[in-house]
Amino acid sequence: MKRYLFPGALVVLALVYPLLVAGSPVWERLGALVLLGAIGASAWNIVGGYAGQVSVGHSVFFGFGAYSAVVVYTHLGWPPIAGAPLGMVLSVLLAAIIGVPTLRLAGHYFSMATIAVAELVRVLSSTSEFLGGAQGLGGPAMPRTVFDLSFISATPFYYIFLAVLAFLLGLTWWIERGRMGFYLRAIKDSERAARSLGVSSGRYKLYAYMLSGAFTSLAGSLYLCMFGFVDPESGFGILISVKMVVMAALGGAGVLFGPLVGALILVPLEELSNSYLGGRGAGLTFVVYGAIIVIIARFLPSGLLSLFERRPARPPAAKNQPASGHAD
Amino acid sequence: MSITLVQVIVSGLLLGAVYALFSSGLTLIWGMMNVVNFAHGDFVMLGMYAAVMIWTALGGGPFAAVPVAAMLIATLGIVSYFLLVRHIMRGPMLAQILGTFGLALFLRYSAFWYFGADFKTLPDTIVGGSFVLGGVRFEGSRVLAGGMGLAITLALHLILTRTAIGSRMLAVSEDATAAQLMGIRPQRMQALAWAMAGAATGIAGALIANFFYTSPTVGETLAIIAFVTVSFGGFGSVLGALVAGLIIGVVESLSAYLIGPVYKDVVVYILFVLVLWFRPQGLMGKA
Amino acid sequence: MTKATRRGFSAGAALTVLGLGKAASAQPAPVKIGVIYPLSGNSASAGNYSKMAIEVGADVINNGNAELAKIIPLAKGGGLPGLGGAKIQLIFADNQGTPAAGQNQALRLISEEKVAALIGAYQSGITLTASAIAERHGLPFLTAESVAANLTERGFKWFFRTTPVAIDFARAYSTFLKEQKAAGQKVGAIALVHENTEYGNSVASVIADQFGKDGLPITQKIAYSANSSDVQPQVLQLKEKNPDVVIFISYTSDAILYAKTMKELNWKPSIMIADNAGFNDPAFLKAMGSTVEGLVNRSAYSGGKPGSVPAIFNELYKAKAGVELDDVSVRGLQGFLVLADAINRAGSTDPAKIQAALRATNLPAEQMAAGYDGVKFDDKGQNVLASSVVTQLQGGKYVTIFPKARATANVILPYKGW
Repeated sequence: MKRYLFPGALVVLALVYPLLVAGSPVWERLGALVLLGAIGASAWNIVGGYAGQVSVGHSVFFGFGAYSAVVVYTHLGWPPIAGAPLGMVLSVLLAAIIGVPTLRLAGHYFSMATIAVAELVRVLSSTSEFLGGAQGLGGPAMPRTVFDLSFISATPFYYIFLAVLAFLLGLTWWIERGRMGFYLRAIKDSERAARSLGVSSGRYKLYAYMLSGAFTSLAGSLYLCMFGFVDPESGFGILISVKMVVMAALGGAGVLFGPLVGALILVPLEELSNSYLGGRGAGLTFVVYGAIIVIIARFLPSGLLSLFERRPARPPAAKNQPASGHAD
Repeated sequence: MSITLVQVIVSGLLLGAVYALFSSGLTLIWGMMNVVNFAHGDFVMLGMYAAVMIWTALGGGPFAAVPVAAMLIATLGIVSYFLLVRHIMRGPMLAQILGTFGLALFLRYSAFWYFGADFKTLPDTIVGGSFVLGGVRFEGSRVLAGGMGLAITLALHLILTRTAIGSRMLAVSEDATAAQLMGIRPQRMQALAWAMAGAATGIAGALIANFFYTSPTVGETLAIIAFVTVSFGGFGSVLGALVAGLIIGVVESLSAYLIGPVYKDVVVYILFVLVLWFRPQGLMGKA
Repeated sequence: MTKATRRGFSAGAALTVLGLGKAASAQPAPVKIGVIYPLSGNSASAGNYSKMAIEVGADVINNGNAELAKIIPLAKGGGLPGLGGAKIQLIFADNQGTPAAGQNQALRLISEEKVAALIGAYQSGITLTASAIAERHGLPFLTAESVAANLTERGFKWFFRTTPVAIDFARAYSTFLKEQKAAGQKVGAIALVHENTEYGNSVASVIADQFGKDGLPITQKIAYSANSSDVQPQVLQLKEKNPDVVIFISYTSDAILYAKTMKELNWKPSIMIADNAGFNDPAFLKAMGSTVEGLVNRSAYSGGKPGSVPAIFNELYKAKAGVELDDVSVRGLQGFLVLADAINRAGSTDPAKIQAALRATNLPAEQMAAGYDGVKFDDKGQNVLASSVVTQLQGGKYVTIFPKARATANVILPYKGW
């Protein structure tokens, strides 16, 4: 019974949150922003957390999603959300193209290769007329139909994001308990051991990467529907990728609710510190934001949720040894 | 070959030596501890501010700035190691990204708060102008930075491979527990690595400040170059970083000149991904 | 509101009702204006200078300036007379250089701070997202510096823009160059070097179009990524083709590198034009001013004779910021003054009344802090009297050289450099 208490309370709170803050557009929006951040970080979590393949270039999928949404509006006049399935399909294909060469790489090499690919796409997108070049593209300025998802209040977005997040977490939970989850954990612990047990590690890493890419892309499409604009930096910028990683790592990577917990802390922290400190123009927002991340990393290196785990929070030191590459 | 092309290649080589210089600290830490320091660019940035401060407050040139920046950033490295890195190494690899990214933001915006958002540059009179050799123009500040870059990366390489302290550091990086059994204190060696990396990074910053602009966010621009250089060369290989830096510098210069400046990063990233495809451990990394 | 001021307010209101007292004895609630700028991130330098310029403007309206009061009615001090002497309170927000933060902060200023109007947001992409929120909430949004053409093409009813846009710059350069050609300068080969983000791309394509129409040959076009670590290849390309005229469209960091590299590689064109932005940044001038003597620029800041509006504002600004007013800061200041004027004429913080007052804005050239011909908005919200002057760096300071009517110095060519 006890183990359902935390998720249960969370579900109830999530469902009634907009009612609790009704009348305060900023808090309504904050709820939606937390969920949007959680969708991106949870999507990343599938490959970065469960499979242990730390991608720092997930903005490539986020950007594909955001651009797909805005492109169907700009070039076809469709509502942006109609671009979401397109973005997901393209992202799965892209994940296959990127994943095949890069997933062979070990540890940090994979991370760096994903950064390089994302930067490559960012630079290319800024030279593409079709994508609006460096100027970026804007969604519908004024809502035409309800399908443009252009709401004054953030509450409709909140429930849309909540539904998507619930689906994504449900899917992750299902995977986690199934055979694929077992394989992914095995790969994360020791790829060599997993392979020797007959796990086709390359194939399962790729599946995780494609699934993760598809949902990251969906997060990008939803972002575009809410904010109505994307340019190369806000779509493919490295900060987008790093934020997903940081959110997941802060809450607990490879844990179902880890990214959500990370988003629950980081997004309000970012918004509130900017609201209260940003206007002075002294950069204090990020001093505080950075310091808090450092402190959490220092005292809870496995993420906040490691506090609630019965297992020892600190894995044995051997786990942290280099996978490859030594000083010469 | 036209003289302009020679000039392009020369400037690419000088640029590459500078890339190698500010990447060598990163590769050292990476190889020693398998830690990626996402705050590396901001360490360089602080080294640059050290040079700017020494010039504006005391009127000192690079000969004063280099040792001061080296000491400052080495201290910063040691402090970061003991207060943060030592602890996050016990967590998963992700904790490093979390911790050092937080550190990056903290340092970047502390500098922002203290120095302001303005771009600062050092007068180009400090390191005397430029000279022409065989029709090719060399700038003093870049030659100094490039030359020091070569010297320091080679020195780091020799320290790691030819000295007792170097072999102790390597022993720790191979197997900390075994090294401990042999009477080496891993933490001391790792702190030393952070100090050495910090010193090299500080020197890089102090030299780059002579021909580059200094601003709180400059580290972001430099960090990605450093990441690519280091993984291109192979983690932990100082020599690899040097070779990779030179290759990247020349490729950037040539592609900017021949294809167009917008595409120079595209060419470098494609080359990088290709290198990893054929040599997943980088040019000089051990498989 | 504290007890004391509430009492003061009601007493004042009572006197006003009786037609006896002067509103000066009362202190009505301040009028809040939300200001969104990049106060952190890569454009923070520009954002912070604009912030100071707007603070100077608010100070003049709240506390008065005797000299300015002779020209600008609002500069008498004592706040906005149309609202019973209400002071202006600026609420600043940091857009962090991201469209998302810009929109989030716009919403906060509207719903939490209850600002009467918004001004911002520097980067065009952020102005786009932030003004969309203002439009949906029915609140005036004025941009003083975002130049992207599509901003005024969205059919928005609450959006106003005081700044000239790219086509105005392009025409200014074109006319200037044709005049120089007539005076015997060579303009047979023109190179366009631009950074590859929204600003550089849009301005470059507009200039290319305009020059094409005007028969000015663009022989070389170099796009590069902003925040480059090295610009030698670009300068070498220029050196090889050796054009007569180079037009740079660059941010500060790149401007610094170009100025340094051109000196290092010892190459200069006979006319060097910089499209504002980086080359106008006080930080650039401080660092590189002595190596780009004779640089031609465009600016909304035209200096002006002592005693003129720009000159007085420049003194006030210099005392605060430590640098001279420049194109970006003066445009921000001008935008703020227009907004304050409209709120004053609206006589209320009711958004619809401010919107109507903005539509009716008609400010003459002599009241301008910026070098505009005045301020008057068309149906799309664009200031039709916006214009920019061509300036030249002479003796470390930008002086106006074109058009003739505004010129404070003669043009000196060829470009001297270092």
